[in-house]
Amino acid sequence: MKTATPATDAALAKDPRLKLIAAKIKKENYKPDALIEILHTAQNAYGYLPMSVLKYITKQLHLPPSRVYSTVTFYHFFSLKSKGDHTCLVCTGTACYVKGAQAILNEIENQFSLEPGQVSADNKLGISVARCIGACGLAPAVVLDDEVLAKATAEEIVNKINAKIVES
Amino acid sequence: MPKIAVTIDDKKLDVDAGKTILEICRENGIEILTMCHLKGLTDVGACRLCLVEIEGINKLLSACTTKIAANMVIKTQTEKIKRYQNITCELFYAERNHVCSVCVANGKCDLQKLGYKTEMDHIRYPYLFPQCNVDTSHAWYVLDHNRCIMCTRCVRVCAEVEGAHNWNVMNRGNKVRIISDFDTPWGESETCTSCGKCVHACPTGAIWPKAIVQGQLEKKPEMITELIEKRKMNL
Repeated sequence: MKTATPATDAALAKDPRLKLIAAKIKKENYKPDALIEILHTAQNAYGYLPMSVLKYITKQLHLPPSRVYSTVTFYHFFSLKSKGDHTCLVCTGTACYVKGAQAILNEIENQFSLEPGQVSADNKLGISVARCIGACGLAPAVVLDDEVLAKATAEEIVNKINAKIVES
Repeated sequence: MPKIAVTIDDKKLDVDAGKTILEICRENGIEILTMCHLKGLTDVGACRLCLVEIEGINKLLSACTTKIAANMVIKTQTEKIKRYQNITCELFYAERNHVCSVCVANGKCDLQKLGYKTEMDHIRYPYLFPQCNVDTSHAWYVLDHNRCIMCTRCVRVCAEVEGAHNWNVMNRGNKVRIISDFDTPWGESETCTSCGKCVHACPTGAIWPKAIVQGQLEKKPEMITELIEKRKMNL
């Protein structure tokens, strides 16, 4: 019952990220209740939830596909589309807005032609906005990948994004 | 079953403990409007039509999900409840694209009957006119999201009675939609057994068998209740 099909075995051997999910499923004892924890692991491993991974999890946990899909679409944390290799989240809360978050967004749009919610064609960069990240003292705050940048300026952000893209 | 004393609409009643307010009211001939309730299925309190006033509790509670307790004083026909029922009914109509005149369920629709029951003559809320798909991919049935009221009776009948769990709900807020599998077209679903129970569970014209025209739809939701009760007898 708990053995993977040959197709997923082959995929497992190839993709270390899927191995991570498989380990998590094993750790949770194939419990259907652990769906959200396992989806978290998958989201962290891939940056989003590809359909093939959802199908794999569904099969492993013996859950109805519709249950998995409804869980994924209910929580905003989970994403079915790639958010980009690098993510730039600009806080547009009141404090950050007053301190010029819009100028940063405008500059990003000028430089990379990306609006909030969009991902670049090469999937290298994704831009998003948040209402408030709870760091009003650091306004305007920008989160580049997992790093919080305090009192950001448009120029500084564009430079850092360029550095990130070149790096990869 | 132990008996407890309750008061419903100024009538003193001795009723079975452990049942819901809705069950007790139905047994005693007290009318309560419902949309998402189907006898035998788990109640979820989704439609908010069965709201009742209980003395000592500040808010209205749904009769289908509230268990009866000793000495409860329940009111089912107050002005406040009627006002809320009117609002709920009008919001049903404003939320999706309900056009009775072209609907297969015309004349046999629970939502239409609800409109008559609440004496709805106009809708005070702006229509949302959402973009809704019609899924005709299944060989025998059609799912029309325009007519869906998100009662989730199809979801529950599929999971609890058929055990297929083909249906579920995706997204949230006004973007909620009924989905089969991974939001795949119904006809391509791997879990659907084509049993047709969801067709009979649906209170509106959202799920219907193909090859019928306006007003021809015949639904038998009581068949599902009967099925559940007969299964219990076998146990």
